[in-house]
Amino acid sequence: MLKCTINGKHVEVKEGTTVIQAFKMLGEEIAHYCWHPALSVAGVCRLCMVEIEGNPRLQIACNTAVTEGMVVTNKSEKVKDAVKWGLDFHLINHPLDCPICDQAGECGLQDQYMKFGKYDPEMAEKKVNKHKAVDLGERVVLDSERCILCSRCVRFTEEISKTNELGIFNRGDRSEIGTFEDKPMTDKYSVNTVDICPVGALTSKDFRFKQRVWFLKDRPSVCPGCSTGCNVDVYYNREGFWRVKPRYNPNVNDYWMCDEGRDTYKYQNKFDTVVVGHRGEKEVMKNVNRVINPMHITGGHAEMMDVQFLLQKISEKLGASKPADVALVVTGQSTNEELSAIVSFFASKFDKKNIYHWQNEPEKWNEFDGLLMRGDKNPNTKGLLKVLEQNGVQAQLWKPSLTAGKLTIVVAPENHSAYKDFSAMVKWAGSGQSTIWLGPGLHEDMGMQGEWWVIPGKTTFEKKGSFENFNGHVQSFEPVTTVIDAAVSADEFVTLLKGANFLEIHKIYRNPVERVENQFIFERGEM
Amino acid sequence: MAEVKILTEHYHDDNYRTVDGYLAKNGYEMLKKALKMQPTEIITLVKDAGLRGRGGAGFPTGMKWSFLPNNGEERYLLCNADEGEPCTFKDRMMMERAPHQLIEGMIISAFAVQSKKSYIYIRGEYFYAADVLRKAIKEAYDKGFLGKNILGSGFSHDLDVYCGAGAYICGEETGMISSLEGLKGQPKLKPPFPAVKGYLAKPTVVNNVETLASVIYILRDGVQEYRKNGTEKSPGTKLFSVSGDVMKPGNYEVPLGYPLKDLIEKECGGLKPGRKLKAVIPGGTSAPVLTAEEAYKATMDYECLANMKSMLGSGAITIIDDTRCMVDLLGVITHFYHHESCGQCTPCREGTGWLNKIVRSIHAGNATVNDIDTLCKVADNMKGRTICALSDAAALPVLSFVPKFRSEFEYYIREGKSQVRGISYAQMHH
Repeated sequence: MLKCTINGKHVEVKEGTTVIQAFKMLGEEIAHYCWHPALSVAGVCRLCMVEIEGNPRLQIACNTAVTEGMVVTNKSEKVKDAVKWGLDFHLINHPLDCPICDQAGECGLQDQYMKFGKYDPEMAEKKVNKHKAVDLGERVVLDSERCILCSRCVRFTEEISKTNELGIFNRGDRSEIGTFEDKPMTDKYSVNTVDICPVGALTSKDFRFKQRVWFLKDRPSVCPGCSTGCNVDVYYNREGFWRVKPRYNPNVNDYWMCDEGRDTYKYQNKFDTVVVGHRGEKEVMKNVNRVINPMHITGGHAEMMDVQFLLQKISEKLGASKPADVALVVTGQSTNEELSAIVSFFASKFDKKNIYHWQNEPEKWNEFDGLLMRGDKNPNTKGLLKVLEQNGVQAQLWKPSLTAGKLTIVVAPENHSAYKDFSAMVKWAGSGQSTIWLGPGLHEDMGMQGEWWVIPGKTTFEKKGSFENFNGHVQSFEPVTTVIDAAVSADEFVTLLKGANFLEIHKIYRNPVERVENQFIFERGEM
Repeated sequence: MAEVKILTEHYHDDNYRTVDGYLAKNGYEMLKKALKMQPTEIITLVKDAGLRGRGGAGFPTGMKWSFLPNNGEERYLLCNADEGEPCTFKDRMMMERAPHQLIEGMIISAFAVQSKKSYIYIRGEYFYAADVLRKAIKEAYDKGFLGKNILGSGFSHDLDVYCGAGAYICGEETGMISSLEGLKGQPKLKPPFPAVKGYLAKPTVVNNVETLASVIYILRDGVQEYRKNGTEKSPGTKLFSVSGDVMKPGNYEVPLGYPLKDLIEKECGGLKPGRKLKAVIPGGTSAPVLTAEEAYKATMDYECLANMKSMLGSGAITIIDDTRCMVDLLGVITHFYHHESCGQCTPCREGTGWLNKIVRSIHAGNATVNDIDTLCKVADNMKGRTICALSDAAALPVLSFVPKFRSEFEYYIREGKSQVRGISYAQMHH
């Protein structure tokens, strides 16, 4: 262990620690753009300047290792001046188009300027012009003028995703980020470059121009995209979810998540917003994405019902059925709490043999791309298997070749796109006599055949519960916000069947906020 | 005192560039001697002789060699023949006239640092020199000076020529290593230094052409004799590339510590008739400029020029007489560094462009007197803030040109034309 003094505070650090890491450990403020804890040191932004006692020259904290007895400060006038100028060099060719920039509000340049800058620019010359709105691929857009060439994105594709797709082309102040031969980026982790971009140079096609970040709130959750269970922050407002960003967890996902996982908020929203048409005649279509009301469907005719009333009907129906006639279908997309509630409830009343496990492409479950993405698109397969074992259940695979039960309770998966056989299974479920469908998503074939009780299910970001990931790491999470008022999770469903009042549950699990369709009008008032 | 020809003794002989001509002048004798010595002996000899790097920084060569870690890793010797510093042309002459001198020097040095493979990283524009070197290397292989088991000593060595692509930054040693590795020519962060992790992350020594060639003569003459030339702290002779407004520009080999005044007036035949000395850039364009007064007092060694807040650099001396406009000259220099900045570190990438733009707006008559101060402030804040020294190289000329010739800059801004020439930039260039 080495002893050193940072801004007058004494600290002991391990050998090989850099000065910037020591600053971070102490929570001392230090400006930096190119340094990122998970990437190699580039040492190019020259903002993390520190003054080391006995060294007349300022040093960069990111490439200086702590030595015994080192006395470091970044509070001296010399350092402040260097940082001010460092920022000035970053800004002279920056377009300063914050009002139309999507990064505004979470931009490194803005933050540093508010901390260290607040001066009038001395640059009176013409700025360098570079390429604007460069399409880097399916998900990322580049604005070269805003780019400060910190090379974080380049190092990300080199060191983390290992696709080596990005590079810095040209030289001097003509340098620009780009892909080789302008090929589109095919990186499955490309949006991470947007996250680590300290400025508005790289923006996500999915999120840009949708919301101002200061109108959004974020809450932690877990990605339901696959069995890795990346820790995420979900950005939401009263209209719903807007984006998913990775949250640091060294045991699971480090700082990263895959692009596929970032789409998981989409199916959890009430509406799926689709832009139709070409430039100039664009039309925004809002397709309903989720089951909004509890329904009783017979012969394609849906009858909206109050959830309490519907549950009463279901309860009666279940009570009248023979144990052998009732089946339960579960998936690894439900939380441990939901599964243990519903499985033990079912096991206590009906025949354990009638519990089925709906699997999506189980032959792919062991696939792994080497970084985060796994073939098992269920976040809680391991938890499900444990729950089944605890209840002494030997679940059968749910597939169309089995005879449909007289009454099937389906705790449906929330992420339909991961289930290739989803349509087929919905049709299959309908071929039985009656189906109790507890799931968040809609499907056109629901209720076309047989008798259906559809109960809007909660999605991961609305639930409180826990997932067990591929290596047995149990992660619990709290609800982010509620999108569908009437939605219930499987454990709530069981509580309700046992006779609880929906409003009681509503109180427990909902945050009582009024939701509005248009956040902007809500904040500003009608104009 | 006059020219002392040690390195350049036989350069007038056209045959000297062939192996036979070189052998006829006792070539490769020192290699034979060196191979019988212990490697550490050679390093000690070079240390004692006080040989300093001739590429620009003047770092003691023997010391550089002794920094290599003894961990049994493969080592590389790289010869820096990129010679990008504007106004320098000594290495080119050395490679074109005496390729075998460099090859011999390199084999001796490689033996001293126990390297099995070395490269000559040659400037992209030096087609002819590269050609000459390649031929010479082939001859050396044929004669058994290179390859396996050189002259029966058990020491094997391979040598190759690698052509750069014309970037100034690849003359910086870590930039050169990046380029040689096939990467973009950008300097690497230090530490680790090349002596620990250099080419292909192996211990690497990078030396200038002239430095490597000088090793032969330290071996030949011994420490005592070698130290007779030059000063206590800057021993030996050095090649100076003199260009600009003198009667006889060219390469001159003189002992270090030689008075600049003598070099201009005796060796170079003085200034053109009727002209007066205005300024001298003593070590390539990145060295701070000296006024005529300072230049006449200067001696060409590392210490004296450092005391004058300039530097010996690569030994490229540019003589500027009273018909030259300093504002125009600074424009040439800032344009060069703007063009050549690699773009890695922000202060250099943005600062070089900013400096150039300010000088251009002075030329265009759009500047105000405040811009002179901005120019100095920008340059001052680029200095010492980057990975390599290019940013310093761009800042130092500004920080010497502007204070030393401030009246010319003020005149240019006030009148919109050059004080010396009486015409504007636009008139001069169209």
